[in-house]
Amino acid sequence: MAASAADVRSILAIPDPAPKAGPSKPKKAQTAAAIRKQEGITREVQGLIGGSAAGLAVQYAKPRLKQKPNLGGSGKTHWELRAFKNKGRSDDLELKHWVKSTTDPTAGYPFAKYNIQSTSYTYSQDEYTRFLDDREWTKEETDYLFSIVREYDTRWYIIHDSYDYPGGMPRTLEDLKDRYYSVCRKLVRNRPWAGDEISKNQLIQSFQFDKDRELTRKKYLLSLENRTQEQIVEEEALYIEIKRLEQNERKFKKERDDLLRTLAGVDSGLPDIIEDDGTPLGITGDAKRKKKGGTAMDIDSPATPSVASIATPVVKRPQTARNAAYDAQHCIIRTDPPLTSSATKAAHQPAYLRSFKLPVPKAAIAPKITQALAELGISHSRLVMPTKDNCVQLEALLDATTALVETKRLVDKVQADIDVIKEQIALREGRGMEGTTEPSVALDAMEMDDTNEVEAEPEGEDGRAQSVVSTRSVRSRKQTRRSMSISSVDTTATVSTRAGTKRKR
Amino acid sequence: MASGDRVRVRGLSIFRPIIYGNTATVLTQKERETLPSPDHTHRWTVAVRSAASAPDSEQVGGADDLSYFVKRVTFKLHDTYTNPTRNIDKPPFEVSETGWGEFEIQIRIAFISESGEKPMLLYHHLKLHPWTASGDPEIPPLDVAIKQGPVHSWQYDEIVFNDPYQNFLNLLTSHPPTPLPKIKKRPVPFHLAHPASLEASKGGVPEFNVSMEKEEAERMEEARKKVIAEQDKWRAKLIEKEKELEKMKKVLEQLS
Repeated sequence: MAASAADVRSILAIPDPAPKAGPSKPKKAQTAAAIRKQEGITREVQGLIGGSAAGLAVQYAKPRLKQKPNLGGSGKTHWELRAFKNKGRSDDLELKHWVKSTTDPTAGYPFAKYNIQSTSYTYSQDEYTRFLDDREWTKEETDYLFSIVREYDTRWYIIHDSYDYPGGMPRTLEDLKDRYYSVCRKLVRNRPWAGDEISKNQLIQSFQFDKDRELTRKKYLLSLENRTQEQIVEEEALYIEIKRLEQNERKFKKERDDLLRTLAGVDSGLPDIIEDDGTPLGITGDAKRKKKGGTAMDIDSPATPSVASIATPVVKRPQTARNAAYDAQHCIIRTDPPLTSSATKAAHQPAYLRSFKLPVPKAAIAPKITQALAELGISHSRLVMPTKDNCVQLEALLDATTALVETKRLVDKVQADIDVIKEQIALREGRGMEGTTEPSVALDAMEMDDTNEVEAEPEGEDGRAQSVVSTRSVRSRKQTRRSMSISSVDTTATVSTRAGTKRKR
Repeated sequence: MASGDRVRVRGLSIFRPIIYGNTATVLTQKERETLPSPDHTHRWTVAVRSAASAPDSEQVGGADDLSYFVKRVTFKLHDTYTNPTRNIDKPPFEVSETGWGEFEIQIRIAFISESGEKPMLLYHHLKLHPWTASGDPEIPPLDVAIKQGPVHSWQYDEIVFNDPYQNFLNLLTSHPPTPLPKIKKRPVPFHLAHPASLEASKGGVPEFNVSMEKEEAERMEEARKKVIAEQDKWRAKLIEKEKELEKMKKVLEQLS
């Protein structure tokens, strides 16, 4: 009640009796003394709540302000010049840099981790012929492309810039990218994959490259860049014009909707119905109803007969959790019914046991596969629990093992070829040094000997397929025999051609 | 029967988990004396049953009665037995006999006529002697074998019906199989494809469970990863060798 007079005065807008201009020092001092300055309350708020709201003020705590950042003012930082080695480098270059003395001297160079090598893909001759053959590209040029991509770490502009395959046709950047990515995709897709399908697809997705789309994109960009000043101006003008038109239309539509609503009330319906200009308002409702009825009939009428005509019960794919649970309970597996087979009744697959359908390896390499899997503790001919998933799993395992055995076989084959060529090189070098002084009779005999031996080689290869140990023995035996027959020019010629044909097979 | 019942439900296959195999126990001297043929050393039971075991039962599998889709199971025993072909038309589909030797038993499962399916042939090697980790048939003396308790040899499998007739499907779905227990409660049945399970198979009547399937899948997954790692190694080797070969060829060309 202390300030009641002042309050009344302010409510009634009666000017304060005290002269405004004159300083009212004593009064102010009084109030200041009466009202203790509250912490954390602005002056204006303080003035408003006055002394009467002291209780309220208690609730105000001092706001917690953010701590001022310590801008290194607290103390001096010691910097040291230290020698370091970059683990990302292959050479042992030692450089020096300034580091804070507080950093751990044993920690490695922090930027070394950014020196990552992108995985580079390589392929064997066999993979090339099976998956990667392309009319536009030879294997040599593809090899060159991959080597240059590796060299420049998939920095395509540099690759394109320095791409220079002798005797090759001119390649655009997109050609190069297209070839590289398509090869990578094919390799990932065709090689056995250790992880799950999702990660495989992700990897394939990362190698996605659409050449046509890329070309179109660049064409668009180019045309965008090549506009003349006038074209740009015109385009902008058109853009503004179209915006203006759109806005006009919106405005017009809004106005008409408002009008409709005021005239027809709730019946006028939705604001997004646009009637043609000049349509009398009275019939809009009818027109609408007609339209509705018509569309409803349209929706209903056409599809029904065709659905009814299907005689066999159509199994709908179970997508709901309930259906899945039902199927799991009753051991039901649904597949998309083949569209063609409904007519041919004969092609019914009789009931079978899952274990009947276990995948069988190719007869030629079956022993090797059995051996390889036995080493891993897996029997390929039987499963403890031949469920559907396990059969699929076993098939994947067999595929991978088949690929492995095939690769091993190829390695042996190439090794054999290398051995043959080594022999030939040694032979030629030897001949070059010694000079040919051998009697021609011996030469003929040797030639016959060698051809016989080559004739026998395929058997040796078959033997190689039996086991790794025997392979080595076959090869070493062959080597010794061949080194016995180091002799003449003619022999080597026959061997090399034969080796060539053999490789093709 | 409505004609709609004899329509095949396309794009659907339904399977029933079964087990087949045998359990064998060594006969005591007393028992042997009572037998007509005293040279028989074992009593065995060969059977086709549902995969899940009934709770607290003393046999492997057989929680469900399979006669709702199996009409007859024929066990063809060794020719030395009297009436070697035993037809079993009602559950339990099993034959108990005594004998002294292991042999191959031919099992023929005939389905009810509603299925429209032909009978199915499978084979089981009668197992009398205890399992060994190596799989080698080493026959311990009878007094040792008798202490090891009954021998179990069971194979899990699934009979798959493709595009079943509607009425057959209805019949099957009205008898959902008892699901296998999720976790191992009893010993697992030993299987030659997984010799490491020998220890886990000891100590009572075994039971099939779901985790066995998962474990097997993991085993194969492990093996596949190893194979692929190996394959990557060999591929790298192959590519290296091919490069070497190319080089050699060039050297050779220069020489000639």
